[in-house]
Amino acid sequence: MTLPMRLRAVSRSNSFGLLIAIALFVLGFHVFAHGFTSKVNIYSITRSIGIDGVIGMAMMTVLVTGGLNLALGAIGVCSAMGVGWALQTLGLPVAPSMLFGVVLGAALGAINGLIVVTTRLHSFVVTLATMSIFFGTMVLLSGSNGFNALPRELTGFGRMRLFGMVSPLLLVMFAVAAVLFYIYRYTAFGREMLAAGANPFAAKLSGLPVERLFIWCHALCGGIGAIAGVMASLRNGAIVPSMAGPLGADWLLPAFLAPVLGGTLLTGGAVSVLGAVLGTVFVEVITSGLYMLQIGEFWIQTALGLVLLGAILLERGRAALALARSTRR
Amino acid sequence: MTRWGRLLRADWIGLAVLIVAGAAALSLARPEFLTPYNIDVILVGFCLTVVVALGQGIIIAIGHMNLALGATGCLVAVAFGGSMQFWGLPTWAAVLFGLLLGTACGFVNGWLTYRSGLTSFIVTLATLSIFKGASLGITEAQSFNGISDAVKAFGSDRWGPLPEMLLVAVPVVLATALFLGRTIPGRQMLAYGGNPNAAELSGISRARVVILAHTLSGLLAAVAGMMTVARLQIATPTIGDEWLIASFAAPVIGGAVLSGGHFPVAGTCLGVLVIALINQALVLLAVDPFYVQVLLGLLILAAVGANRLREARLGTGPTLRLS
Repeated sequence: MTLPMRLRAVSRSNSFGLLIAIALFVLGFHVFAHGFTSKVNIYSITRSIGIDGVIGMAMMTVLVTGGLNLALGAIGVCSAMGVGWALQTLGLPVAPSMLFGVVLGAALGAINGLIVVTTRLHSFVVTLATMSIFFGTMVLLSGSNGFNALPRELTGFGRMRLFGMVSPLLLVMFAVAAVLFYIYRYTAFGREMLAAGANPFAAKLSGLPVERLFIWCHALCGGIGAIAGVMASLRNGAIVPSMAGPLGADWLLPAFLAPVLGGTLLTGGAVSVLGAVLGTVFVEVITSGLYMLQIGEFWIQTALGLVLLGAILLERGRAALALARSTRR
Repeated sequence: MTRWGRLLRADWIGLAVLIVAGAAALSLARPEFLTPYNIDVILVGFCLTVVVALGQGIIIAIGHMNLALGATGCLVAVAFGGSMQFWGLPTWAAVLFGLLLGTACGFVNGWLTYRSGLTSFIVTLATLSIFKGASLGITEAQSFNGISDAVKAFGSDRWGPLPEMLLVAVPVVLATALFLGRTIPGRQMLAYGGNPNAAELSGISRARVVILAHTLSGLLAAVAGMMTVARLQIATPTIGDEWLIASFAAPVIGGAVLSGGHFPVAGTCLGVLVIALINQALVLLAVDPFYVQVLLGLLILAAVGANRLREARLGTGPTLRLS
């Protein structure tokens, strides 16, 4: 590929478009929204990007299979509650508690995957059911009591400000992104997951253990969801069962916004880690900017819905355009 | 096949047995189960949930889904209450306004799904947040209580043990059953749900089927939203928040296939009855309401598992579908 060709490919890519859009919005909000680029606001934006980015990437790992995971929020809350239980009831140190939470999340995800693969039902209905089962069981076990006596190193980490304005949660998000990028780009495991998701039938005929790979995708989703759950609790300073709304459903919009904006296909087999990160940044910039413009916090949800709608329609239009162009040739 | 054999193979027979057995067991364990008050609670719950379930069901029939069902109901409920409180609309005009709004929301869902060619999941996820945000924005998360007396009376009036809401719920059920079973657009929807490509090749318009199904779903969401206002006697922006699970659970328990093409209205009604019964049983037995959640989830899994087994036995259904 020559350099001009490569440049043209870059300029047509989804991520490039997002980058331009982010730059324009940041500039616009900097001019029109008073206090948008203040240190306090940048801190809160980076914190939200950290949390929602990890939520989005968790969903992305299961979008790879062409399925989805409605139970992501429930898994995140359950795992965070598991961490709280390990810390406070069992009195374990931070590191093993975290490990316990991630393993719990991965196990819950694996249950989803196992049911999807063995029953061959669509993951929508399976995770709709498990969302209710996981969340209900967690509330019954915990008696809907949260954990608010978190160890100081954990709450301190949540409150830390790097350079006075960057939340360390952003760095956690980058770490997760880097690991996923490596897995999908450079490991056989990642390539196999993508191949299985793109065309399960062909992958099966070529000898891939498609069922096992799909269970791994769901487990990965659960594990990353657990990380997101802990991150969200750090923002609150406590682990509470209601942090992701009823049944954890409040996570659904951020979970789908980021990967879909970033160009991850809902039909499976294609991911863009960079796109998901940029998608999250885009969403958080708009959210924070609209908040600063004081259009009323409730209308922001409407605006995000419009963004999602606009993005998918734009993507559709571009795909149609590309098809028209390539067939004319 | 004999008449009895056909009856035994029907989707809903197992459910009916389950409901009768459950109700019998419950009335033995807790005699207060059969009091008029309890029957009334169950019936009111049934009236609301059945409209919600059919609103989702009409979309399931074409193999789509409508995540924005609850948000549409919420927006309509808020607009319905607001139009009476602030614009002073008479009841009939407010109802008409609500129905039109719901229909418009459904039409938008259908049109976007059709035009974009995307899955209805992502389109209705986007409109879910648009409608929900709008209803929160309009009300600023407060409730409207300027509901007209006629609406309040409709929600609370009884004839003996029968709630007046049956006046809406029963016609909705009958109309949906007739529509899907006996009319040309209804049959076309089911044909499209069974196999979109084959349906299109036989001359069924994809645009019409998709847009009509989503529009009807919005209409039913509007009906359910306004019924909820009548029952609660206020219009709050939390209406519809918990519709999603029930709206899928009832049809699925009743034997609906989520990939479309087959939608049992009778089964769905029984599914709704199962949910109402579980809710009431747990109240009477004084167990934690979150058991309802767990039980409902398990029931969905059991129901879809059973459907899949039946499909496998009949030799239908997909051979390799993993996602």
